Amino acid sequence: MRLLVATLRKLIRRPATFITFGLLVGLMALIFLAVGATAKQQPSATAREAALLLVTFPGAYTFVVSFILGLGGLFAVIYGAAIAGSEWTWGTLKAAVARGESRTRYQVWSLAGVGVMVGVGLLGAFVVGVVVALVGAGLAGVSTAGLSDAATLGQLPELLGRGWFAMIEQGVLGFTIATIARSQLAGVGVGIAMYFGEQFATIFLPDVVKYLPFHAAGSVVATTGGEFGGSDGGQLAQLDPNAALVVVALWLVGALVVTSLFTERAEISG
Amino acid sequence: MSGTDGLALATRGLEKRYGARVALAGLDLSVPTGVVYGFLGPNGAGKTTTMRLLTGLIHPDAGTIELLGRPFGRRDRHRLFEVGALIEAPSFYPYLSGRENLRSLAATGAHTSDRRVEELLELVGLRDRAKDKVQGYSLGMKQRLGIAAALLSDPRLLLLDEPANGLDPAGIVAMRETLRHLAATGKTVFISSHVLGEIQQLADVVGIIAAGRLVREGPIEELLEGEGVVRVRVASTELEAATRILDGLAGDGGVTPVPGEAGWLSIRFEPGRAADVNRALALAGVYVSGLETGSDLESLFLALTADAPSGGSEGTFFGLGGRRPEPPSGPSGPTGWLGGGGAT
Repeated sequence: MRLLVATLRKLIRRPATFITFGLLVGLMALIFLAVGATAKQQPSATAREAALLLVTFPGAYTFVVSFILGLGGLFAVIYGAAIAGSEWTWGTLKAAVARGESRTRYQVWSLAGVGVMVGVGLLGAFVVGVVVALVGAGLAGVSTAGLSDAATLGQLPELLGRGWFAMIEQGVLGFTIATIARSQLAGVGVGIAMYFGEQFATIFLPDVVKYLPFHAAGSVVATTGGEFGGSDGGQLAQLDPNAALVVVALWLVGALVVTSLFTERAEISG
Repeated sequence: MSGTDGLALATRGLEKRYGARVALAGLDLSVPTGVVYGFLGPNGAGKTTTMRLLTGLIHPDAGTIELLGRPFGRRDRHRLFEVGALIEAPSFYPYLSGRENLRSLAATGAHTSDRRVEELLELVGLRDRAKDKVQGYSLGMKQRLGIAAALLSDPRLLLLDEPANGLDPAGIVAMRETLRHLAATGKTVFISSHVLGEIQQLADVVGIIAAGRLVREGPIEELLEGEGVVRVRVASTELEAATRILDGLAGDGGVTPVPGEAGWLSIRFEPGRAADVNRALALAGVYVSGLETGSDLESLFLALTADAPSGGSEGTFFGLGGRRPEPPSGPSGPTGWLGGGGAT
């Protein structure tokens, strides 16, 4: 437990935590506020309606969560890779191992810390997202009566829970990649390349890609007609959300095992 | 492991390869309990590889390690709870303060209290800067924090790789006193270093490694017996006469000019008889303008390691001429002049 507390203390003070969170909520705020401010100036009625829909509750909840899980997945990969890679780059894993710490235990608790931070970030971004959507609604002059829509609010806990799980999987993938690369920079680079590589893979492997980690993570939260998290706009065949949950769990466990095996066998130098 | 009673650290037949390159070729170390052990060797000799093996960062291809009287293998990480280590450069989170870094490290391995962290910050003189981020620390401050990190679990065996690196003179003296104090309380200090003068002042026992093998090990006094030297400086016009006179005292080949130091001669001679050297020269009408004495660990080191092939990838510095230096019979110059006493 003391290792988890120490990991959280490290992550809370780490600039990468705030930069990642700041980028996510900053971009979201920019989009919602810009849409809210310009919705009524759209040239066509269709565009105007679409813009207003973005800041109209309860639909705005959907867009907030979609945005967080879509872009947040990429950020989770980068964050996980940054945390794992720096342990090798800065030699801090070496220092812990030389003190007799278990390599696997150290990595698992580091991952748990990443998972907690991702969860806190997800909740924080959701709260900020709702607030900026409200501001956007105010700028667009639309009603916020749907804010307390019981049916949507009832779905949110499960949705956020599933989203958290999916983002943890993506964070762990970044962590694993950086562990194998033993480098922060290489881990982040390869993580981003894999994320976008999977998007390109839809062209060549449409039947396989739904089982790949990032698409499966998107499917986990597609509980309301594929709106949440999916980056393919629902054009690609997706896994059933519960099946996706199993696939994501398999990727998660697989990544954990690879991280553990690699760390246990690694010759730590530098 | 046989013959390792009373040893804090022992290796037998330790081997390590990196691909085709042999880093260690059967290393046998015997480090007695309660001493400061100086671990010396040229670049690439296998010092850092040995340190990594002793802390479980890498694993041997063959051979055995005993830490504090018990075998140390892949599954014996708990042995390290009683070992403190500073290997290569100190490793810290740059965005955390010194205190936070120590607390973070204290959460790993053996249980360590916050009070211990504060004690060590005081010991290494970083209490006033403990709140500052490590990225703003100088090299010497990072090194002091690294030494504090190595001492976190109040270890019975301390493994230090170049601990004086970056320390200012006062810091070096303080570190030396701390390590001597630790040895006096029954703890064992194992120091790998290139600074031979530091080792000569600090170590009780020395091990010299070359090309992955131990080439000499023993108490420093025993190793330096017969390594005594006296150096004199005479006018350049009198060098030839002085050499002739001193050859008579030290025997043929016992007198050599000190490379790069005009007017200095090095004589293989018992330091306690330095007055005989002065007297012999004075009686012949040659007056010295400088006289120094010492036991020369550097001479011994160079004699033992100069012919050894480099086992590592770091290579050897041959100087601008690209010529391999001759193993000297005396000190190589004032910077290499180690040890006790001396007068001018």
